[in-house]
Amino acid sequence: MKSFRLTKMLLLTLTVLFPLCFYLIFQVAPTERIMGDVQRIFYLHIALAISAYLGFGVLFVSSIIYLIKKNPYWDCLASSAGEVGLLFATLVLITGSFWARPVWNVWWTWDPRLVSMLILWFIYVGYFMVRKAVSEKSRRARYSAIVGIIGFLDVPVVRLATKWWRSIHPRLDRQEGGLDPLMVKVMLVTLFTFIVFASIVIFIRFRISWAEERVNTIFNEMEVSHG
Amino acid sequence: MKFVGNTLSIVKKDILLEFRAKEALSIMVFLSLLLIVVFNLAVDIDKDNVSSLAPGILWVVFAFSGVLGMGKTSLSEREDGAYLNVFFSAVSMEVFYIAKVISNLIFLLFMELFTIVSFVVLFNYDALIKGLPALTLPLLLGSIGFSAVGTLFSFLSTGSRFGEIILPFLFLPVVVPVLIAGVSATDLILNNTTGGALLKWLKMLAVFDLLYLTVSLMLFKHIVEE
Repeated sequence: MKSFRLTKMLLLTLTVLFPLCFYLIFQVAPTERIMGDVQRIFYLHIALAISAYLGFGVLFVSSIIYLIKKNPYWDCLASSAGEVGLLFATLVLITGSFWARPVWNVWWTWDPRLVSMLILWFIYVGYFMVRKAVSEKSRRARYSAIVGIIGFLDVPVVRLATKWWRSIHPRLDRQEGGLDPLMVKVMLVTLFTFIVFASIVIFIRFRISWAEERVNTIFNEMEVSHG
Repeated sequence: MKFVGNTLSIVKKDILLEFRAKEALSIMVFLSLLLIVVFNLAVDIDKDNVSSLAPGILWVVFAFSGVLGMGKTSLSEREDGAYLNVFFSAVSMEVFYIAKVISNLIFLLFMELFTIVSFVVLFNYDALIKGLPALTLPLLLGSIGFSAVGTLFSFLSTGSRFGEIILPFLFLPVVVPVLIAGVSATDLILNNTTGGALLKWLKMLAVFDLLYLTVSLMLFKHIVEE
């Protein structure tokens, strides 16, 4: 009951945070000199990317704890966080593409950041393939935890490899420069909003998943006791 | 000493089995040849573009042929629960994993050598033979990485309903750093560039191998504990 009240409270906070966020992005944040209004997608893009990493991070930690404790609770949390992480990663790729088109005149460029996010996306699609491919509960949890751990450890190596790889290949020039202080403030508010949002979605998804798990366990026990 | 003895016994068993059945290796070797032919038909490799295309084609062939071969070796162990008999003989899962990594590594290196020779013959690309001594280290390090991840994931996928079909989806994204480092190192060697640039990629391969051998060794027992 306590957690339900907390969820409700956080959801109410979001009803304030989201409009505030969009007001700041579209009304307060200064227009970028070169890219113009399209740069405003940056705030959502970065916030989505960090929220996706949050989901994958929770998946990684929950997977390790599951393999140690073998409690289905952690498997439910891992898969719930993975679902949210994958959804956010998909949105990162889509918003990135929308941003790249008017700015670089391409839908996609083989930039290290883009490539590593795409590889990460493939790894977590693989994670859910494994969950789909194994029907026995304990085996599914163990197998997917292994993919979750291996996948997350791969992130920094993929990032470094793609960075070095791009350094020897031609690439589209990227305008690098410091952010306006106001842009940083808007970015931080958007980031906070999306982290709260991602946490709530993970929590709600986990509650559903955990309830399903308990109902299934009760049904299985009833089946066994009634022959 | 017992660790080394048990590991070598399993490796010996795998090689003997492969020598008699000729299943995994024949799959790997024929697929590599087929892939080279398909690549040539798709890209039209000639003497002008062979040096720029060779590193990429070779490593893609290694990855695809390797993944299929490793799937086959795990499937042979899963059939009738053959691997369980190894555990009943008091061999630890760590020993079993290391032995399978070594067996797969031997098969991978054999397939890679065959692929390189075929490539030289089919495209008259002698530079590959000249560069072979220098290529040994990247090939060895890359293959250790492939084998460390491939052995773990092939046992995982053969234990699922989808079987080996799921293996490339798990294996290929994770070995992307090996592919990038392997292709870059091969490219540098074939263009006679050595020194710092090459060392950087070799270091990356070594770090990947160390990371994945350690982590996979710790995780492998969770796959086979039924």
